[in-house]
Amino acid sequence: MAERQGRRRRLYTAWYACAALLLLGMAAWLYLMGDYSRIPLPAALSLVMLAATLLSLTREAPPRVAAYLALICGYLLIAMELPRQAALPSLWVGLPPVLALLLLPLGPAMLLNLLLTPAWLALLGNGELDQDLLLSYLTLVVIAALVPWEQARQHALLRATDPLDPECSAVGHDSLHERLASEAERASLLEQPLAVILIHLPQLEMAEEQFGPRAQQALLDSLCQAVAKRCREHDILGREGAADFWLVLTDTTESGALLVEQRLRQALERTTLLETGPIEARMRLCRPRRAESWPRFEQRLHAITQSLADD
Amino acid sequence: MQTKYKIGLLRGNLLIAALLLALLAVFTHHASEALLLWLAAGWLAVTALLLGFDHRRPATVPWQLLPALLLAALLWVNPERHVTWLWAWAVLLMLPQPRWILLLEGLLALATWGSLHALLGLEQWLLTGLLLAGLMLLGLSRALDLHARREVTLRRARLVPGLALWPGHRLAHDLALERSRSQREGVHAELLLLRTSRHLCWPLAYRLCQLTRSFEPCYRLDPRSLAVILISADAEEAATRREALWHRLDTRGPARTVTLSALASLDHERRALVRQAAELQVDGEAANG
Repeated sequence: MAERQGRRRRLYTAWYACAALLLLGMAAWLYLMGDYSRIPLPAALSLVMLAATLLSLTREAPPRVAAYLALICGYLLIAMELPRQAALPSLWVGLPPVLALLLLPLGPAMLLNLLLTPAWLALLGNGELDQDLLLSYLTLVVIAALVPWEQARQHALLRATDPLDPECSAVGHDSLHERLASEAERASLLEQPLAVILIHLPQLEMAEEQFGPRAQQALLDSLCQAVAKRCREHDILGREGAADFWLVLTDTTESGALLVEQRLRQALERTTLLETGPIEARMRLCRPRRAESWPRFEQRLHAITQSLADD
Repeated sequence: MQTKYKIGLLRGNLLIAALLLALLAVFTHHASEALLLWLAAGWLAVTALLLGFDHRRPATVPWQLLPALLLAALLWVNPERHVTWLWAWAVLLMLPQPRWILLLEGLLALATWGSLHALLGLEQWLLTGLLLAGLMLLGLSRALDLHARREVTLRRARLVPGLALWPGHRLAHDLALERSRSQREGVHAELLLLRTSRHLCWPLAYRLCQLTRSFEPCYRLDPRSLAVILISADAEEAATRREALWHRLDTRGPARTVTLSALASLDHERRALVRQAAELQVDGEAANG
């Protein structure tokens, strides 16, 4: 996850650097053509893009700042060049909305595009309202926005259908509750014992605050690995809250579950991480009582999870 | 709830876009141009109607190709009027689509840009090309993130949110898991394969998920066949449940069941399903459907 974001960041950095070079190239071209009055703008903007490149390199600055800088550069360039290219206004009027949609998230981009409509049209139409131009601008804005919409829909869809938690290989919250309900139904229909081990990692929040996301990831990964090594493949480790996990042991008696809990506890105690030291884990075993309904059992699980976190 | 809200907005946006395209079509004088614009408007309107929140329509190839082809055609038919659309190539690349369509879109963008040479004059033409290339790279880099996530997730994600319907390539792994589990627990597990016609497959899948127990996963093997692992206490219960399920499913297509312990090869069973008569076959013997 972090690696992918890093790669994406690097791509953007490369893009900003290319834009800076392009602007520098434009200034050089104007110099060669002898058009000295037009040189300052691209030269200054190439410096701004250089700043954006450096900003996107540092990890602290939010990536949005560099994107806004790039957008402002693009806007200024278009605004200065548009009246000059008035021979073909319909070509250049399409550039700003597309640039905004590519650099910004959908909401701000659409807002900017709609707010700036009169500005672009006035710059191009010399004050007169060109109906054709307005219509094609609006159509482009509305249709181009469909693509980020579709992307957002795909993202939401993946989140809704992915059974795994986005941060680790444990099962996600909704999926966990669904699986647990179906396992409880199976256990009662086939008259099998069921056990749930509740796990709380008290170091998780602190690890994030003090040592950053990498330390948190290491904690999550070692828990998932420890569980994967010591449990059967059809046992379900699910993430109930940020630092709370439920381990569902199917067809397992109380003594069997206690054995698993003990082994897991030993394994986690023996695992020492670089930043946080040995892993602390609070665990408690919970089993459905005789003739206890599923909602009651789930309520009890929630209550015990809360008390584990509060200890 | 939030996701449903988003779908409503997206549908509204699609319809507005269709409306604007229709307006453009009304104002135009060229017959071929109007035809293209009406086609695009119709495409958007139909998309708005078909849109749902699931992986149900994994965007069939002609569907994904159409926007690129329409865009290229518009730019060829009347470049003077529609030259604004040239920049749309950069946004189009952001859509989740297979790699070869991305390549095709790149080539089409190159071709349409090339044909604008006469209209733009050398300096503007070169500048436009450079800018378009930069924007397309930016669009591509925005698509990469989603693309990578999709590749990984789609292999394990369910096909419809909230429904225990899984992609077919999970079945082999789940079968092995369930076989060892049912052996240890001493319960009776069997695989039921169903085949039906293409347009009846999705309704059948919904019915199948409703009629089976929540711990019995359903799979969509291909556009025409479904599978489900049925788990019962013993063979007798399995037989009565299977009969009841078969009657309530109310499907005519061929179906067969095989107990997991007797299952030799999934591929073999799937081939046998295609060849067999339209009835329910139990472990190779014909039973009255």
